[in-house]
Amino acid sequence: MKILIADDSRVMRQIVTRTLRQAGFSGHDLVEAADGRQAHDLTISEKPDLVLSDWNMPEMTGIEVLRALRAGGVNVPFGFVTSEGTDEMKQMAEQAGALFLITKPFTAETFADVLGPILG
Amino acid sequence: MSAPTTDDLHAITEQVWLSYLDPEGVNPFLPSPDAPPSPHVIAAVSVTGAWEGHVVMTFSERAAELSSAALLGMGDDEVTPDDIADAVGELVNVIGGNVKSLLPDGSLLSLPHVVTGESAGNTRWPAAVEVCRLQGSWQDEKIAISVWTSKSAGEGA
Repeated sequence: MKILIADDSRVMRQIVTRTLRQAGFSGHDLVEAADGRQAHDLTISEKPDLVLSDWNMPEMTGIEVLRALRAGGVNVPFGFVTSEGTDEMKQMAEQAGALFLITKPFTAETFADVLGPILG
Repeated sequence: MSAPTTDDLHAITEQVWLSYLDPEGVNPFLPSPDAPPSPHVIAAVSVTGAWEGHVVMTFSERAAELSSAALLGMGDDEVTPDDIADAVGELVNVIGGNVKSLLPDGSLLSLPHVVTGESAGNTRWPAAVEVCRLQGSWQDEKIAISVWTSKSAGEGA
């Protein structure tokens, strides 16, 4: 499967990549986006099977990316990996069509539990 | 309005250390009452909206290097200034995001801001007062985390 990792922090993209491996999801094709605009454009051009997106990013926030994709008819499975996990944001994420919201700091166990049903 | 406390910062910091900086649980962050020396690196995120203030982390130079190396999974002699800015910025973003979850709905978190070098010691927050602080050491290097709120909010305006 192809997974798009969107986060403006290179450190966090690396941590997400490492955590995917630790959670047993090795061997997937990973694509990285460094801001929201890039995440949106790469989702359209690269057609990933899953998008793991930060919320707070320059250019477009994660929720803006998700809304723009859905408005454009792109129904890729989309989940947030964000430091902000308030009920308000979880609700916004769900309403916009996100499958899940993983809160930072996360562990490999969290990734395994949440992503297992999607990545198999 | 309830503000975050040092105990909240301690709980959040423990989670962050166990997830990213000390996954084996062998090098925990050790709180200490000793005042940290003038910082070499400051990382901050601001909160605006329903609650206004800043979440600030300060590091000794070595603490910033060690934190960045641990987050990146590389040797501490390999990290570059850009790595440090990215890593400590992300660290304060994660801690700030968790602090924000304790604040009223309608609060917004900014992107991180990082100052390094001699300027870090001159950083000021003129419109804010400190509401809580956690300070201590990690691998014998000083790190402090503080939460500041708008002076006008502190006056009950």
